[in-house]
Amino acid sequence: MAYISMGEAHRRITDYLNRFYDAVSYQDGASLKVLLSLSSNSPSLLSLADALNLYQDASRLIKQSDNYSQLAEILLPLFRALQNYRLANLIDSYQAFEKSANAFIQEFRNWDSAWALEALYVVAYEIRVLAEKADRELVSSGKPPEKLKAAGSFLMKVFGVLAGKGTKRVGALYVTCQLFKIYFKLGTVHLCRSVIRSIETARIFDFEEFPRRDKVTYMYYTGRLEVFNENFPAADHKLSYALNHCNPQSEANIRKILKYLIPVKLSIGILPKDWLLEKYNLVEYRNVVQALKRGDLRLLRRALQDHEDRFLRSGVYLVLEKLELQVYQRLIKKIYIIQKQKDPNKAHQLKLEIIVKALKWLEMDMDLDEVECIVAILIFKNLVKGYFAHKSKVVVLSKQDPFPKLNGKPVNS
Amino acid sequence: MNQGVNTETIAALDSNSLENRYAYASQGQISSHLPSITGSEALSWTAHKVDNNSAPNGIPSNSTYHYDQHMQQAVTSSASLGTVNAPQDYNGYASYTNPTDPYGYGSTGYSGYYNGYQQQSNPSYSQPVGAYQNTGAPYQPLSSFQNTGSYAGSASYSSTYYNPGDYQTAGGYPSSSYNNQTTPWNDTNYANYTSQQYAQYNTGTSAAYSSGSATANAAATSLNYQQQYKQWADYYNQTEVTCAPGTENTSVTGASNFGCPVPSVTSGYPTSNSQPAPPPPPPPPSYNPSWRPESSSSELPSVQSGAVVNGAHDGYWRHGPPTSQINHTTIQPHLQKPSDQNSSFNSFQDQQKSLYSQGPNSQYSATNQAPLPPPPPPPVPSYPQGPSFQYPAVHQVPPAPQTYQSPPQNAQSLDTRRVGKLQIPTNPRIASNLNLGLAKTDRDSSTTVAAAKPAYISVSLPKPDDKVTSSAGADSILKPGMFPKSLRGYVERALARCKGDMQMTACQAVMKEMITKATADGTLYTRNWDIEPLFPMPNADVQKQDNVQSSTAVSPLENKLKRSPSRRTKSRWEPLPEERPVEKPPSINHNTSKFTGWVNANERDKKTFMMNTGSKDGSLTFTRFSSVEQKGSNKITQKPVKRQRLIDSYIAADNGDSSSDSDKEQSLTAYYSGAMALANSPEERKRRESRSKRFERRQGNGAEANHLKSKSAVSGSLYSRRATAMVLSKNFEDGGSRAVEDIDWDALTVKGTCQEIEKRYLRLTSAPDPATVRPEEVVEKALLMVQSSQKNYLYKCDQLKSIRQDLTVQRIRNHLTVKVYETHARLALEVGDLPEYNQCQSQLQSLYAEGIEGCHLEFAAYNLLCVILHSNNNRDLVSSMSRLSNEAKRDKAVKHALAVRAAVTSGNYVMFFRLFKTAPNLNTCLMDLYVEKMRFKAVSCMSRSYRPTLPVPYIAQVLGFTSIAPENDGSDDKDSDGLEECIEWLKAHGACLTADNNGEMQLDAKSTSSTLYMPEPDDAVAHGDASLAVNDFLTRTAL
Repeated sequence: MAYISMGEAHRRITDYLNRFYDAVSYQDGASLKVLLSLSSNSPSLLSLADALNLYQDASRLIKQSDNYSQLAEILLPLFRALQNYRLANLIDSYQAFEKSANAFIQEFRNWDSAWALEALYVVAYEIRVLAEKADRELVSSGKPPEKLKAAGSFLMKVFGVLAGKGTKRVGALYVTCQLFKIYFKLGTVHLCRSVIRSIETARIFDFEEFPRRDKVTYMYYTGRLEVFNENFPAADHKLSYALNHCNPQSEANIRKILKYLIPVKLSIGILPKDWLLEKYNLVEYRNVVQALKRGDLRLLRRALQDHEDRFLRSGVYLVLEKLELQVYQRLIKKIYIIQKQKDPNKAHQLKLEIIVKALKWLEMDMDLDEVECIVAILIFKNLVKGYFAHKSKVVVLSKQDPFPKLNGKPVNS
Repeated sequence: MNQGVNTETIAALDSNSLENRYAYASQGQISSHLPSITGSEALSWTAHKVDNNSAPNGIPSNSTYHYDQHMQQAVTSSASLGTVNAPQDYNGYASYTNPTDPYGYGSTGYSGYYNGYQQQSNPSYSQPVGAYQNTGAPYQPLSSFQNTGSYAGSASYSSTYYNPGDYQTAGGYPSSSYNNQTTPWNDTNYANYTSQQYAQYNTGTSAAYSSGSATANAAATSLNYQQQYKQWADYYNQTEVTCAPGTENTSVTGASNFGCPVPSVTSGYPTSNSQPAPPPPPPPPSYNPSWRPESSSSELPSVQSGAVVNGAHDGYWRHGPPTSQINHTTIQPHLQKPSDQNSSFNSFQDQQKSLYSQGPNSQYSATNQAPLPPPPPPPVPSYPQGPSFQYPAVHQVPPAPQTYQSPPQNAQSLDTRRVGKLQIPTNPRIASNLNLGLAKTDRDSSTTVAAAKPAYISVSLPKPDDKVTSSAGADSILKPGMFPKSLRGYVERALARCKGDMQMTACQAVMKEMITKATADGTLYTRNWDIEPLFPMPNADVQKQDNVQSSTAVSPLENKLKRSPSRRTKSRWEPLPEERPVEKPPSINHNTSKFTGWVNANERDKKTFMMNTGSKDGSLTFTRFSSVEQKGSNKITQKPVKRQRLIDSYIAADNGDSSSDSDKEQSLTAYYSGAMALANSPEERKRRESRSKRFERRQGNGAEANHLKSKSAVSGSLYSRRATAMVLSKNFEDGGSRAVEDIDWDALTVKGTCQEIEKRYLRLTSAPDPATVRPEEVVEKALLMVQSSQKNYLYKCDQLKSIRQDLTVQRIRNHLTVKVYETHARLALEVGDLPEYNQCQSQLQSLYAEGIEGCHLEFAAYNLLCVILHSNNNRDLVSSMSRLSNEAKRDKAVKHALAVRAAVTSGNYVMFFRLFKTAPNLNTCLMDLYVEKMRFKAVSCMSRSYRPTLPVPYIAQVLGFTSIAPENDGSDDKDSDGLEECIEWLKAHGACLTADNNGEMQLDAKSTSSTLYMPEPDDAVAHGDASLAVNDFLTRTAL
C-alpha cells in the first residue's frame, strides 16, 4: 500500500464526506450509489479505506460539521465497514454495514420521493454480498454462518419500507429478488411465499411496471419454485417469460434460465434443438434428449447417473427421472411402427414378450410382470391409448392415435 | 461553578442517552475485550466516554483497582462539585432528581409495568438471589443489603457494594460489631428520611464511590432513593421480622435495598462473619479484578440512569444486581480492601474536590464511623431493622456493580452516568450534612424537587401503617419541632420496625434514653441521625429474629436485592430476585467473561436487556445456596409480597401528590399509577403470588447448592445450576450466539446418582434432581434391560424415554446415546410409532453429524423412506438424496430405499411390492405404512388399463398379498390366506369381482374403475392419529 500522508488521508475523507453530503442534498441517487458500493472495489473507495485506516479519528471529522453529523449514523458505521472491508475483516465489515444500512433505511423512509432508489439497490445488493462473504469467513473459522440469514431479515425490513408506498414500490421487486437469492442459497425457500404473495396480490401496481431486469429475475426464481412443485405449465410460463425478456447479451443468465426451462419443456413433450444445448453449454441434457428421441431407456438412465450430482443440486433430477415414461412410450411406439411395416393388420396388438425383448436389447433386465406394470401405467397415464389383456399378455392399442402427443401438457398423473 | 458543571453533565447525559445505548452496543462487541484486557477496556471506555463527556474516567480504565477508583474519584469529583455547594447541589440535584424521579416512579411503576419483563427476568432473578445468599453467608449480609438498594439503581449498587466491602473490613470485625455499626447507620438514615435517605444514598454511593461506583450511584441514586424509600416502607413493614423485611425489601428492589440489606446483613453477618473474614484474606490482586469489575459496573449503573430510557434503566439495573452477586464472590476480597479504599477514597475525593470530598467524607465517616461509634445495645437484632440495613445494603450493592463493571460495556455507559450519579450522591450528602434542610429544600424547589419529589414522597411514606404508628410514637418521644428532623426520622424508623405495642414501647424507652444521652452530650443536633444505625430491637422478638436471620437472613437480603434491581415492587419479582442472588455467585465465579458477552447481547437488544440481566443474575447466582438460607428466603418472600403491595399503593398515592408539581410529572404519575393499579389488581396479585411461590420453591432448591462447600449439597447445586442453565439458554435466544458459547455448560451439568435400573418416564417440570438421574453406567444397564425385556412396547417406550431424559440431562452424547436412540427408533418403527420415531431420527441425525459412530447408513435409509413415503416433499427428497455420500449409495439398505423411491415416484407397484418383500432391516416397517396407498393406486391403475378382466390371484401376487411366485403350489396355506385377504381388501375398496368358468375370481376392470373408493380406515380415531390410540397400541404390542 502506497504511503499516504496524514493530510492526504484527511483530504480524502473530507472529499468523500463532501460528495456524500452533496449527493444527499441534491438528491443525486446515481452519485450516492457509487459512494455506497462497497464491493465494487472502486479505486476511490479503496483509497478512502486506506485513508480511514490511517486517519483514525474520522468520527471527529463527521461531528465537526453539521452537514455530516446529520448523516453520522450512516457514515460512521459505513466508514467502519469500509475499513474492515479493506482489511478483509468481513464479519465486522458486515456488521458495520448492516448498521449503516439500517440508518440509511431510516433516512430513506423520510425522503418523500424515490430518488434514492438506486442507492437503496446498492445497499440491498451489498448487504447480501457482504453477508455471503462474511458467512464464508465464519465457516472457515468453524463458526455457524448466520449473516446471510440476518441479511435476509434486514431485507425483509427494506421490503416493508418499499412495498406499500407509491413511487417507492418500484423498488420492491429488486429487494424481492435479493431475498430470493438469499432464500435459495439458504434453502429456506418456503420463506419466499409471503413475499410472492405480496407482489402478486397487489392489484394497485401492475407487474409490468417493474423494471424489466427485476421482472426477469423474479420470474426466474418463481419459475424454479414451480419446478420444485412439479407444476410444469406454470413453470413453463414463468421461465419462458424470463427467457423472452432476458437481455440476449447476458448469456449466463439465459443459460441459467434454460437449465430449468429445458427439463420443464421436456416434461411437456417439447424437445430442444441440439444447437441450443451447444450454444449454452447445457450438454448434460443432450443424452436425455437423445434418449427421449430414441426411446432408449438405457441412455436416459446413464445420463441421469452421469450427472446425478448436478441434477440433484439444481433440483431437476426428479423431473428428468419422470421422463422415463415418455421413453417407454417412445420405445413402444417404435415397436408399433416396425410391426406396422410388417403387418399393418395386426400392428395394434403388441405382444408383451416383444417389449420385454426390446428392453433386453437395451440391457434392461425386466420380467413380464414388471413390463406389464409399466404398460399398465402408460395406459393409465394416457401415454398409450388402448388396453391390456392379461390373459393373452397383449397390449391392444387404439387404432386412432395410439400414442398421443403431450403437446405442451404434462403427463397426467 | 458547581452548578454549571452539574447541569452540563446532566445535559450531556440526556443527550447521550441514545449515544450511550449506542456505545453500549458497540461496547458489547468490545466488551469481550475489556474483561480480558484492561488496556483494551480503557480504550473502549475512553471512546464511550468521549461521548459521555467523561472521557477521563474512561481513560483511567481498569488497569488496576486503583485505577478504577481514580476514575470514579474523578467522577466523584465532578459529583462532588455539585455537592460542595449545597444550593448548587440542589440545583444539580433538582435536575438530576427530575430524571431520576421518573425513574424512581418507574421503578415502582415498573414492577407493574414490567410484568412481562419480570417474567423473563424472574428466572434470572431468582438465581441471583441464590447467589446472593451464597455470598451472603459471608458477604450476603452486605451484598444482599446493598444489592437490593443497589439493584434498584445499578449505580447505587456499585456504591453499596463498595461500602459493604468497607463494611466487611470494618465488619471483618465480629458480626456483632458489625451489626452495631449498621444500626447506627440505619438510624441516621432514618432520621433524615427523605432528604436524609438521599443523603445516605449519596453517602452510600460516595462510599461506594470511593470504590468508583459513586458515579453510578449518583445517577442511580435518584432511582435508588425512591426505591429505597419504598424499601424503607417495606422494610418497616417487614421489620417485624428482620429477615422478612429484608425479603420484602428485595421485592421492592430499589427501595428495599437499604432496609433489606440491613436485615440480611445483620443476619448474614453473623453467619457470614467467617465468610467475610475470608474475603479480606484474598490478596490485593484479587481485589483488583473484582474492583475493576465493580468500577465498570458502577459505571453501568450510571449509564442506566443516563440512559434516560426506562427500559434501558431496567436493563441496567438488572445487570447491576447480577453483577453485584457476581462481585460477591470476588468482592469479599474487596471488602477487605474497601476499608482501605474507603479511607483512600475519602482522601481521593478530598483531593479531587475538597468540597465534594468533604460532603462525601463526612457522610462517609458517618457511615464508616457510624458502625463503630454508635454502640447499638443489642447487636444483631437491631441490625435487621431498617437503619442498619441501609448501610450494609449500600455496601453490598457496590459489589454488584463491580461485577457489572467486569462487563466493559456497562462500564462505559456507566462512566457518563457516573458523573450524573456522582452529583446526585453528593447532593444527598450535602443534604445529609445540612440535615433537615434538604428534604424541605427539595420540595420547595419545585423544578428540581418535582422530579425528585416522587421518590421523596415515597420514601417518606415508607409504610403508611408503620409510619403512622411510628410517627405517633416519635411524637410521643419527641415533641415536634423541638428536635432535628433527622432525629425524628430516626425515631420513626426505629419505631417502624416494631412489630407490636410491646416492642414499640420498649423502643420508645430506648430512644428516650438515647436522646437524653445525646442531649447531654450535646450531640443531639450534630449527630447525623440519618446515618445513625438503629439500635437493636429491645424485646424478646429479637432472638426470634436472630434465629430467622441467621438461617434466613441471607435469603431475605438476597430477595431484597433482587427486587431492588428491577425496582419491581410486584410480588412476582420477589421470588425471582431471591433466585438470582443464589445462582449468580457461581456463575460469576465461573465466568466473568461470559457475563460480558451477555452484556453485549443486552446492548444489542434493549428489550433483551432485561432478560439478559436476569439471566446474568441467574448465571451468577448459580453458586451456592445454603438450605437454611433458602428456607428463610421462602418465608421472607411471602411477606415481602404483601408489603410490596402496600408500598405500591403508597407510591401511587405519592405520585398523586407529586403530580401537581409539573405537567410532566402528572403524566408520569398517571402512567405509573395506571401501571400500579394494574399491578395491584387482585388477579394480578394472585397470579404473582402463586408465581412467587413457585419461584420460592425453586430458590429453595437453588439454595441447597452452595458453592460454599460447608453446607452445599451437591444435588442442590445441581438444581441451581440447571436453573441457571435454563436462564442462560433463554438469554442465548435473545442475546445471540456469543453468550452461549461462553457458558460453561460442564459446570452446569447434572451428574446423576440414582442406581435404579428401572425408571418411569416423567416429563421434567423443574430442574432435574441428581438423586433421580441415573449415571451413564446405570443407563447402560437399563438399556440392556430394555433390549432383553419381553414386555410390550409401551413399557419399553416409557423406559427408553426416561433413559433418553437422563442422557439429555447429563449431556451425555456418545455411542451410548446413539445406541439408545437407535434402539428406540427401531422399536418405534416396529410398531409404527412414527412420532416417536421422528424424534429419535432427528436426534440421531445431529448425533451422527457430530461424528459419533452408529448405524448411520441404516438410518439414512429410514430417513429416505420416511421422506419419500410420508412427507411427499420433492425438495426435501432431492436435498436428502444429494446429501448421500457415495459410500451410502452403495449400502444395501440405502440402495433399497432409493429403489423404493423410484418405484413410488413412477408408480411401479410391481417393483414396490417386490422391494417390500426383500426389504432389509426395518425398511419393511416403514414401507408397510405406505402399502395401503400403493395398493389402492395400483388397483385404480389396473382397472383403467386392463380389459376385460384381471384374475384376482394375479392381483394378490402382484400386490404382495401372496408370495412372489404365483406358480407355486396353490395348496400353500399362506397363499390361500393371502388370496382371501386380497379378495377381502378388494371388496372393501369397492372392486367388482366375478367368478369365471373355472371358479377363479376375476376383477371386472371396467366396472371397478368407476366404483373404486378408499374406505375410511376402521381404526380411525377422533384425533386423527391412529397411532395415538392406546387400545390400538395395546393390541398391536400385546405380549
